[in-house]
Amino acid sequence: MASMAKRKQKIKEPKIEITWKEIKRQKVLLIWSAAIVLYGIIFYYLPLGGWIMAFQNYRPKDGLFHSQFVGLAKFQQLFSDATFLRVIRNTLSMGVINLVVTFVMAIVFAILLNEIKSNGGKKVVQTISYLPHFLSWIIVTGILHDALSGTGIVNELLLKFGILDQPLNFFAHPKYFWPIVAFANVWKETGWNAIIYLSAITAIDPSLYEAASMDGAGRWSKIRYVTLPGIKPTIIILLLMNVGNVLNAGFEIQYLLGNGLVQSVSQTIDIYVLKWGISQNDFAIGTAAGIFKSLVSIVLIVIANMIAKRSGEERLF
Amino acid sequence: MKAKKLAALLLTAAVAAGTLAGCGGDSTQADSNDVAGVEGTGGDSAGSNGEMKHFTAFFAVPGSEINDDNEIMLKIGELTGAICKETWLTGQTAQEAVGTLIAGGEYPDFIDGGDGAAQLYEAGALIPLDDYIDQYPNIKEYLTEEEWDKLRQDDGHIYWIQQFGNIYGEEKATTHNDEAFWIQTRVLEWAGYPEVHTMDQYFDLIESYQEANPTMEDGMENIPYTILCDDWRYFCLENAPQFLDGYPNDGSVIVDPDTLKVIDYNTTPTAKRYFQKLNEEYQKGIVDPESFTQTYDEYIAKLSTGRVLGMIDQWWDFAYNVNDALKQQGLDKQGCNYVPLPITIEEGIKNQWHNSGGVLNVSSGLAITTSCEDVEGALAFVDALLGQEVHDLRYWGIEGVDYEVDENGEFYKTEEMRMNASDTAYKASHMCSYSYFPNYSGTSRDNINAMSPQFQPKEFYDALSEDVQKCFEAYGAETYVDMLGTSEAPGAWYPMYSFSSNMTTATEGGMAWAKMDEIKHEYLPKVVMASDFESAWEEYMGVYEGCNPQAFLDEMQEELDRRMEAAEKYK
Amino acid sequence: MGIGMSQKEMKRRKTSFGDKIFTVCNVLFMIAFVVITLYPVLNTLAISLNDGTDALRGGIYLFPRKFTMKNYITVLEKDNLVTGAYITVARTVVGTVFSLVTNAVLAYIVSRKRFLFKQQLSLFWVVTMYVNGGMIPTFLLFKGLHLTNSFWVYVIPGMISAFNMLVIRTYMNGIPDSLEESAQLDGAGYMTIFWKIISPLCKPVYATVALFVAVGQWNSWFDAMLYNRMSSEYTTLQYELMKLLSSVTNQGNSAEAMKNAAGTVTPTSVRAAATILTMLPIVCLYPFLQRYFVTGLTIGGVKE
Repeated sequence: MASMAKRKQKIKEPKIEITWKEIKRQKVLLIWSAAIVLYGIIFYYLPLGGWIMAFQNYRPKDGLFHSQFVGLAKFQQLFSDATFLRVIRNTLSMGVINLVVTFVMAIVFAILLNEIKSNGGKKVVQTISYLPHFLSWIIVTGILHDALSGTGIVNELLLKFGILDQPLNFFAHPKYFWPIVAFANVWKETGWNAIIYLSAITAIDPSLYEAASMDGAGRWSKIRYVTLPGIKPTIIILLLMNVGNVLNAGFEIQYLLGNGLVQSVSQTIDIYVLKWGISQNDFAIGTAAGIFKSLVSIVLIVIANMIAKRSGEERLF
Repeated sequence: MKAKKLAALLLTAAVAAGTLAGCGGDSTQADSNDVAGVEGTGGDSAGSNGEMKHFTAFFAVPGSEINDDNEIMLKIGELTGAICKETWLTGQTAQEAVGTLIAGGEYPDFIDGGDGAAQLYEAGALIPLDDYIDQYPNIKEYLTEEEWDKLRQDDGHIYWIQQFGNIYGEEKATTHNDEAFWIQTRVLEWAGYPEVHTMDQYFDLIESYQEANPTMEDGMENIPYTILCDDWRYFCLENAPQFLDGYPNDGSVIVDPDTLKVIDYNTTPTAKRYFQKLNEEYQKGIVDPESFTQTYDEYIAKLSTGRVLGMIDQWWDFAYNVNDALKQQGLDKQGCNYVPLPITIEEGIKNQWHNSGGVLNVSSGLAITTSCEDVEGALAFVDALLGQEVHDLRYWGIEGVDYEVDENGEFYKTEEMRMNASDTAYKASHMCSYSYFPNYSGTSRDNINAMSPQFQPKEFYDALSEDVQKCFEAYGAETYVDMLGTSEAPGAWYPMYSFSSNMTTATEGGMAWAKMDEIKHEYLPKVVMASDFESAWEEYMGVYEGCNPQAFLDEMQEELDRRMEAAEKYK
Repeated sequence: MGIGMSQKEMKRRKTSFGDKIFTVCNVLFMIAFVVITLYPVLNTLAISLNDGTDALRGGIYLFPRKFTMKNYITVLEKDNLVTGAYITVARTVVGTVFSLVTNAVLAYIVSRKRFLFKQQLSLFWVVTMYVNGGMIPTFLLFKGLHLTNSFWVYVIPGMISAFNMLVIRTYMNGIPDSLEESAQLDGAGYMTIFWKIISPLCKPVYATVALFVAVGQWNSWFDAMLYNRMSSEYTTLQYELMKLLSSVTNQGNSAEAMKNAAGTVTPTSVRAAATILTMLPIVCLYPFLQRYFVTGLTIGGVKE
C-alpha cells in the first residue's frame, strides 16, 4: 500500500520552465515530437479541411472547392428534424449503456481471470474469451436472433421455468432493444477488452500480494487493495477515452438487429446519416453530423479530463 | 493507376506487333463466323494474341468477380479482341462508391453507377453515346428509337444503355419472376385444385387447410402465412394493394390508364381492406407472429423447411435459394413448392401480377467514362457482346462443355452441366456472362433457342418438380405465367418506379417519399398487429398524411405527364 | 521464520472458507463464460462444415448435420487468394513493426516528466481520436500523396494511433522515475534509456499493442477496396474474402443481383468458412504473445 502513495505523488507534476538549457537537454525528444506532429498534421488534421463540406451544398461535380456555400443550413436542417433528435437520444443511451456494461464486464473478467490459480486454465479461458471478437456482427446477430426467436433457447428456458406462459418476441418490443444491444457488445468484446487489463495486472509488483497475504488479506481484500489500485491508471485512461466515444454507439449491430417495429429506438446517428444523407446523395449531412459528434466528444473528454485532474488521477492530457 | 499503365503498355505492344505482322488479325476474324458487330470495329479489335484490349469496369451493385484467367472471358477475348476486368460494389453504398470516384476524378472505362448514376452524369464523368450508336449495328438494334429517346437526359444526350429487360424476338415466358401471392402445391392438391381469385378465398383456403393439417408429415407445425418485412424487402407487405386493384407494378403509385392520373395505393379502400384482412388473420394466428421481426435469413430458413403454406414475395427473392433446399430434403414430394395465384380484391378484376414484354428501367445502365481512352474500341466490345455467338458464350457457355445441341438444333444441358452452372468456383473460373453489359432475354437469332438457359422451355420443364407439374396440369397451365395470365405493359409511362427510385430529399416530393417509406415501415406492422384495427388505421393515416404525400404525388404526376408527352410523337 | 509460518497459517485458516467459496464461484463463472463465448465460435465452425443448402433450414448448433468441405474449397479456390495472403502477411508484419515503434516512441516522449510540451502533445493526439475529415477528403489526400495504388497506404496512414499510444504511456508512467534518473547519471541519453531501460520493461504492453495492431491489420479490407481497387497486386486476403462474400450474398437488391448470386454455396456457410479460415492464423500465433500478458513477468524485482 506504500507504493500507492508513491504513485499519487508521481502524478504531481514538476514544473519545468522553458529555457534554452532545457531545450538543449531535450533536443532529441523535441526533434522526434516535431516529426510526429508533422505526421499528425498531414494525416489527421489536413483531411479536416473536408469539414467545409458541412457548410456547402456539396455536389460531387463541383467538388470541395466549387460547391455552393449554404452556411449553417445543414445544421439547421439536422436540428429541426425530430428524427435526428431522436437518433441522438438513441445513440447517447446505447452509448452510455454499452460503455458502462462493457467497461465493467471487461474489468471484472480480467480480475477474476487473474484469480484463477491454474496457469493452464487461465490461458485456455483467456484464449476462448477473445475469440468472438473475430466474428463479424452479421454472424453474432444471426446467432442472437436464433437464440431469442419464438422457438429459441431463451424462450424455451423461460417457458420451462414458468416465467412466461407463451413465447415472447423480444425484437417486437422497443424496451428490449437496448439491453439486447448491450448484451451483444458484452458477449463479443469482453474477452478482447480484458486483454489491456490483464497486461496491466502483470505489471503489479508480486511482492505487494505477498505483503497483503502477510497482513492476512483474503482474496477480496487483495483484489480491492492491490489489483484494483494497480490497474487504476489503465482503467481511468480507458474510461476517459471511452467517454468521448459515447456517440459512436455503432451502426452495424443496430442495423442488423433493428426492424420497423423498433426503429424509433434502434436508429443511431450513423444509420440516420446513411439513410438521410448518403442515400439521398447528400454528403454534407454526414459531415455535419460528424462535426456535431466530434464537438460533443471533445467537450465530454475535456470535462472528464478536468475531473480526473481535480481528483489527482491519471489523465489524457 | 497500375492497371491503366499495364493496359497502355499492352496496347503499345499490340500496335507494334500489329505493324510488324501486317494485318494478322483479319484471318482470325474471318474464321469466326457470325461475330456480328466485329465488322464495325475494323482490324484493331481482331484477336490474335498480344493485341488484346484490356478494359476495366465498375458496377455499383454487388456481384461475382470472375478469375483473371476465366476461360470464357479469354474465349470472348479471342473473338472480340478485348477483355474487361469487372469489379463490383463491396461494403459501400453505390452513392459512396460513386462519390469517391468522382472526387478522385479517375474512372474505369465502363461504369454502371446504379443508384449513383445520376451523380456521374451531373459530374460530367460520362461520354455521350448518341453520336456513336449508329455506327454499331448490334447496339443500334438493341433498343427502338422510342426507347433510346427515353434514355436521354435533360441535356438531350444518351449516356447509358440499360442492360436488362430486353426481349429479342418472341418472349419465352416460363417463370413468373415477379411478385405474387404464392401457395404450396399441397394446399391446392388437398382442396382439389380450386379456383382461387380473391384475397378472401386465398386466406379461406389456407385456414381450412391449416385446420385439417396443422402439421407436416414429420410432425412440425405449419406456418400458415408469413410476411417478409426485413429492411427494403418490406415490399412483401406494403405494395400488394396496387396488384389487388388490378394494376401492374408501377412500384410507387397506381396510374389510371384512362384518366392518366396517379393514385396513391396506400390510402385506397383496397389498401384498408387488405391490411384489415391481415389484421384479422394475425388475430386468428394465421399470420406468423414473427413476421415483422424476422430477418431475411430466418425467412428463407422457414421457407426452406417447407412449413410455410403461403406468402407474398417476388420469385427471385426466394426461389433461387428455397427451391434447391426443398428438393434436397425431398419436400417437393410432399408438395411444398410454391405456385402463384391470380389474386385480386374482388372477383372479375383482371390481374396484372405478370406483364409481358420487357421493362426498360431508364434510371441507370452501362456507361462509358471520360477516362476511357478508346471509346470506339469500348463500344465495339459492347457491340460484339450482343452478337449471337458471343451472347451464347455469355449465357449458355461453350458447346459440348456447358450445353449440348440436339439434332433439331435445340440446346440442352445434362444434369452435370446444370450442377456446374450453379457451382461458385466453376462459375468464377469458367463462366463469364458480363452480366452488367447489355443482354437479351427472349428468343435467340436462330429462332429455336432461348437467349439464356433459364428461359429454354425444355430446360424449364426438366427442372420442374412433380408436384408443380401436377398442379399446372390441373389448372391447364404449362408455366408459372399461365397460372396468372399475362397482360401487356399498360402504357408508355411504365414503370413509374424508374423515376421514384432516383428521387432524393432535395425535392419536396422526394422528402415526402422518404418519410412515407419510414412511416410505413413502422406503422404497417403495428396496424396488422393491432387489437383494435380501426383506431390503429386511423392513427397510421394521420401520421401518413403528416408526411405530405401530396407533394410526392404531384411530382409523380408531373413525370407521368412528361413521359406521356414524350411518347406522343411515337403514336 | 518458524513463528512467521505459523502466523501465516493461522490467517490462512481464518480466511480459507471465504476463499473457497470465492474459488468455487469464480470457477463456475469462468465455465459459464467459456460456454457462452465458445458457443458462437463452435456454431460458426459447424455451419462452415455443413452443406450450404441444408444449412438454410437453420437448426444447426454444435455439429454439422450434412458434412462437407465444399465451403472451404469455395473459399480457397478464390482467385488472387495467394496474392492477398502474401500482402496481408506483409502488411501485418510491416504495419505492426512500424506502428509499435512509432507509438512507443511517442508514448515515451509524452511520458517523460520533464518534457516541455507533454500536455500539448498529448492533447494534439487525443483530439485525433474524435475527429474525422470523412471519406472523400481523406481519399483526395492519399491520392495527392501518391499513397493510392500502393502498398504503403496500409502502413503509413494509421501508423500512430492515440489509443495505442495512451495505453503504452499509461504503462510507462507506472515505471519508477528512479530507473531513468540513475541511467541519466550514468550518462545515458533519452534514446538509450528508451531502448535499454524502458522498452524491456514494457514487454507486456508492447505485446498487447502489437496484438491490437496486428489484428487490425489482419482484418482490414476497407482500405484495400477504397485505395487499391484497381491494383490487384496489392489486394488483401480480407478484401478478396469480402468480394467473395458480397458476390454470394443475399443483399443484392434486384432480380439481376440475385440471379448472379444463386448457387450451391450460400452466404451463411461461406461466410462461416471464411471466418474460421481468417481466425486460424491468429489463434495459432496467439500463445506466443499471450505469455507476456497472462502468465505475467516477474518484473517486481527491478521495480523498486
